[in-house]
Amino acid sequence: MIQGIFYARFFPQEGYMLFGTKIVAQSPPGCIVPVPGVSKPPLFDFSVLSEYVIPRQAFCNRYITVNDPEGKYSVLGFPVSIRSQRYDRNEFIFNFGIVVECEAVTVADQIPYERVVRRLAVTFAEMEKQNCYLSQDPARYHVGGSGGKNAEYSQYHQKMQQQVLLQQQQLVAGGGGGGGGGNIYRRPIESLLEIVKEDLNNYGECMIPVDDANTINMKLFPHHPTPPEVKGWHVPVAKMKFSEVVDPTWDLTLQRVIAHIDGVSDVRRIAFAADVSLELTQLALRHLLYYDTILLLDMFFFGACYAPRPAVADFVTNLGGIVDECANYVCIVGSTTHHSPSSPTSHHLSSSSDKLPSTIGSESLGDVLTSPGGSSLSNGGSGGGSHRISNYMLIKLMTTFCVGKTVAEWLKGHVDAGFDVMRFVDVRRLVQFGLIKGLLYRVHKYIVSKQYLAALATGQARPLGAGGDSLQRYTDGRHTFDQIMTEQNLTDGEIMDRLKSFPAPAGDLTVLYK
Amino acid sequence: MALPVLPSPSNFLAVALVINRSRDGPRFVFHYPPHVGPAQCSGAKPDGADDVDIDDDDDILLGRATRDGLKRSTSSDPDAAELSHWNHEDHLVTESGTQVVPWEYVAGFPTKDLENILTPARAYHKKLFQISLDPLLCVSYPVHVPENGVWRNKKKQQQQAPRKEDADAAAATDADASFRPADRRASDVDQIEARDIAKAAVKTVEETEDKKSSMTMFNLVFILNPKKHEAKDLVDVMFFHIIKKINKAYKYCQQRSDFVWKESKRILALKDKAREDKRTMSSLWDDILSTSSLAASMQDLYDAISRNRIAALQLDTPEGLVTHSVQIPVPFHISDLPQDDSDDQRGLWLTTANSLMGDDAVDEPDYVDKNFALLPMTDEKKIIAELQSDADETTLQMIEFVRHCKPTLSFYQVGQQSSNILTPAQVRKFAQHFIFWRRAIAIPPLHARDMYIVSPNCDMRRLPQAAAQWARQFPLSPPLPNFLAELSVAPRPYKLHCPSKAHRPVYMTMLAWLMRGGWVTQLCTFAYVVVWPEIVYEVEFAFEAEEIARAKRAQNRGGEPRSVEGEGDFSSTSAGMAALGDPAVADFGSGFLPLLEDSPDLASSVATLRDLSLSHSPTLARTQQHSRVSDAGHSSASPTLLITQPTDSDQLEVLWRVTTNASTTPAEQAAEKARLERIADKTARELIERATAHARKAVPVQTAHPSVNSARHLAGISPHIILDAKKATGKESLYLSAIGRRLRERGNRSPRDGGDGGLRPGPGTNSMMSSSQRTSSSSRLFEHQHTKSDGRGNHHHVKTAVGGSSSKEGKENGAANASGGAAGVKDGKDWDERVANAWPLFWKYFNGRSALERIALQEEMKRKDAWNLLTAMSEYLLCVRHW
Repeated sequence: MIQGIFYARFFPQEGYMLFGTKIVAQSPPGCIVPVPGVSKPPLFDFSVLSEYVIPRQAFCNRYITVNDPEGKYSVLGFPVSIRSQRYDRNEFIFNFGIVVECEAVTVADQIPYERVVRRLAVTFAEMEKQNCYLSQDPARYHVGGSGGKNAEYSQYHQKMQQQVLLQQQQLVAGGGGGGGGGNIYRRPIESLLEIVKEDLNNYGECMIPVDDANTINMKLFPHHPTPPEVKGWHVPVAKMKFSEVVDPTWDLTLQRVIAHIDGVSDVRRIAFAADVSLELTQLALRHLLYYDTILLLDMFFFGACYAPRPAVADFVTNLGGIVDECANYVCIVGSTTHHSPSSPTSHHLSSSSDKLPSTIGSESLGDVLTSPGGSSLSNGGSGGGSHRISNYMLIKLMTTFCVGKTVAEWLKGHVDAGFDVMRFVDVRRLVQFGLIKGLLYRVHKYIVSKQYLAALATGQARPLGAGGDSLQRYTDGRHTFDQIMTEQNLTDGEIMDRLKSFPAPAGDLTVLYK
Repeated sequence: MALPVLPSPSNFLAVALVINRSRDGPRFVFHYPPHVGPAQCSGAKPDGADDVDIDDDDDILLGRATRDGLKRSTSSDPDAAELSHWNHEDHLVTESGTQVVPWEYVAGFPTKDLENILTPARAYHKKLFQISLDPLLCVSYPVHVPENGVWRNKKKQQQQAPRKEDADAAAATDADASFRPADRRASDVDQIEARDIAKAAVKTVEETEDKKSSMTMFNLVFILNPKKHEAKDLVDVMFFHIIKKINKAYKYCQQRSDFVWKESKRILALKDKAREDKRTMSSLWDDILSTSSLAASMQDLYDAISRNRIAALQLDTPEGLVTHSVQIPVPFHISDLPQDDSDDQRGLWLTTANSLMGDDAVDEPDYVDKNFALLPMTDEKKIIAELQSDADETTLQMIEFVRHCKPTLSFYQVGQQSSNILTPAQVRKFAQHFIFWRRAIAIPPLHARDMYIVSPNCDMRRLPQAAAQWARQFPLSPPLPNFLAELSVAPRPYKLHCPSKAHRPVYMTMLAWLMRGGWVTQLCTFAYVVVWPEIVYEVEFAFEAEEIARAKRAQNRGGEPRSVEGEGDFSSTSAGMAALGDPAVADFGSGFLPLLEDSPDLASSVATLRDLSLSHSPTLARTQQHSRVSDAGHSSASPTLLITQPTDSDQLEVLWRVTTNASTTPAEQAAEKARLERIADKTARELIERATAHARKAVPVQTAHPSVNSARHLAGISPHIILDAKKATGKESLYLSAIGRRLRERGNRSPRDGGDGGLRPGPGTNSMMSSSQRTSSSSRLFEHQHTKSDGRGNHHHVKTAVGGSSSKEGKENGAANASGGAAGVKDGKDWDERVANAWPLFWKYFNGRSALERIALQEEMKRKDAWNLLTAMSEYLLCVRHW
């Protein structure tokens, strides 16, 4: 939230009433320097901060922020210095500044305002250069002394003769003010600032015509950290229904990529299916990642291994109804009873607010499951012979994942114990749910060559050296099998076969899980 | 604990000292490192992280504005182009003859300008001063001279030299206090007093002169260049742990001996002379660093903090050496995998063990003592050598401590083993000291029976170096990749990786090595109590019976059940039961009327609850059923009784009405009476109804394995999980005691089947199998898949039964079997007794947060015993394993 916005100027004439750094306009009135009629004290002591609002020449024309001594507010400004013969002392220095709270909940709150400050500085600097917009401001404004004892009302004209007219005036708060001095009407800067502040605070954007030729357009953009890189073996899962928001004006590549995000296909596969280069696909997905509209998982295999993380405790305690949420996502509505034709769309039912992927088409499960099915929609699931399994059973399933046990083995354990998991639960979705919620992690498989490690340690690694295998560069323990699979287009078994002919002494290769 | 944003050479550019003088104005004294190039605009950072948010057109316009500014800059300033080619070593002379001095440009700004903007007003005295000069961020904690203009604090001079920080961790953590001997206000008062005294004693002329021209403030500025989103965190971390503390240390020295001002004068003099002589920057800097301990301390500070080490400063004041250390504490462990692939947290030890210390452990200092061991981060000999370098009494004790500390021994055990040379408080203090100074970390004691897996957070980038180091340190052991692979295939107790008992010590050292590097983490078991439907039903049933009995008792006493309801925690009398005027029930009840002459209702119903577990025989149950029904019959007869003998409270009520409302007519009284009658009638009928419903329910039957009881009356009930057995109340506590009874009577019930004893908390232990498969599957649970490499990269999947009775582990676990199966015949009862006694003792660990592996330590039991007891309880536990 903008607490205050001001326009400060440096007045070079010594001996006049107006000398030094002065606040020419401020909104709300009295936020920076006191004005009569406003009992609320200023946000901070401007005299302490004025040297940073109009700093030395060396620091002008750059974005400057400073905190007040109490640590409550930050002043964001961009002092602009314009050098020209037409000014007194050949220099015109001004600053449009914004005051925001320091203690804002997150840092990110301050970042969007940088652009606002820059835009104000740039616009007014350009307008000043073009037609002396600021230096010949005909509107009446008040000037508050930094001491704040007696505020002076003055009208200041800087013409060739450099005369100063002092004129008692009552304060015109953000108002009409009418034509003064016979110039063409234009909006006083004070009211302009007020509009900027109000619009940005209320709508996050503003569009203000300053005069006939110039308009200030600004918008606050939230700051997101740079998303991680998208790799070929990642599986993007949509967090929103793209089909509902996409429109033909979107980037064409993005549109093609989005169509193939199904929560099952990996990036490489999506690139292939969308007929887009892998790099562009990754770029497009990273863009989606930046806006937090997708999340990245890894490929699901029945031969892969998943293990619980400490957060699995939340699942056992059913924190925030997470188990019920899981049930809605993973339980299979038996194909024998009915097949809801609307299931893919109504997945969205409860998940718009939470982070559940909701746009996974049920048909994609066909290769995994014998009976394709959507997810159980009814919350209770008790009526009509539905297959909503008990919370206990879901907890049981989730907690029995373990290091050193593949999904297939896990499945077999349950089937042997008399619970036919496949009939009630979509295993892939269960695992996916666990991964998304941070209940499970994937135990990856790595291949390590001791020979190669030794070479790396001594710094004489020669990837793809003479007689080296194309797989050699993967044998340093930093490349998962997923990566080898996607990059070399091999299956797990094929990789293992290839490794048999790996040119290395016996016992050189080991398979590592972590 | 999340990892803080840490300084690095990329976001921490330099540290600079700026002072202000009363007469001559501000001066930029010193900065380190010597060459601080103009920082790139955040928009142009190589990683492109932050460049998204600057408009292109704005940039173009701004670029023009900047250039305009530069072009018209004063002619004495060097050309921008010239500056960019400058090596920041030699002096330049511009065309106009101005000398450009290399040390007068820091981070692209002339120090002339920086010294002005970095000397903030008194309003910032001892406050955070933070100014961003795009892209730099200058953060500092300005220190001004006290209002009276005198730094020196006469009284302080009597104080002894500051304690040596290294020797006392506590002092270091509380460094503020050590440098601010008194409360701020108090010290000001002191100073005024001191001045008054000095005045009286006629101050020397020199001193007053000094006061006039001397330093009015100093400001140690930290020049940062953070990424946008991490700026605030970095500033917070730096300010709190470094900036504030270091400035306080300087202030302390300044107050005592005018240290900062004297050193500054020396540095400035050197600089002025070098400017005349046109010395190169590097030779001047070498000179300054060797002559000024203030400058050297800035160097130490920058070098250490930018690499996230501990900065040890030595300030050579006239009154002796002042040493001080600062650091940004970093967690040595994380409790969960980092969100994304953030590299800075890679390699950190992954555990939830320490996160517990936050809440529960506060009230029991024992907890830390018993559950943690010290793992030195460097060689023990190295630490001892370090300590021996300056020996005093404390260090001798510390050496003793280091000698006794083993990663396999808890602090508690260390205290005991040192034959009580070290008190527990000492052990704790020393341990904290080593941990604070990053010489060691606290870990749960290593044990060969525990399972260790390759940490999913281990830093594989370090693998090549680590493997080489490992080979040097453990030349006879399997190579690191192989050993890690072996650990990673399937979780097994660590000792199974050890070829023989003789190898055990070496293998424990290897384990410590792996822990230190964050390569492995312990796989722990966490448990919750599961209440099987059978138990749920049993408790509910007994509970209902008791409630009915209680209601009846009240009725018999002539009271209304309503008044009884308040007593019970779980009043479940549903007033909505429309049992009124149900002749069938009444008849049914009255049919048994003759039976209850002796009205054994109370006794029998209580028996149903208390002795339910004893009553297995259906006949007994049936008799109970009879008696219960007869109770119902009895109650149907009681309304008349009730009316003639109203309860005390009712009587009172009536009396009250009569006395207070004298105008009550007899008719009204009759109506009131009728009303009471109706109410009594209704409750009585409801009771009958409930009793009947209860009587119709199936009688709970105890089976040997409640987990697999699939009786029809249990079908609708799903198992109940008690989340924290320690905090269980109400029904949950009834469940717990019911399970306790079961454990106690298990031996009586039936000869134990061997399979059940081998059930060990672990993957899939949680008995979910159906009864037919139960025995067979319990042994299968221990099957882990092994992937063995046969050297040429040929991998077979081999199923090996680790559990059961075929392997070592199995035998070990089978100890429970032994006592269950073999011993079950002779002392099974004793064993059950033990299990049942341990049950309430172990409750507090069944909360999903306490690792079962630590119970033995905490309860001071033998690990084997603890495991056997847990194994015996395992049917009632839901287990999950993670770190």
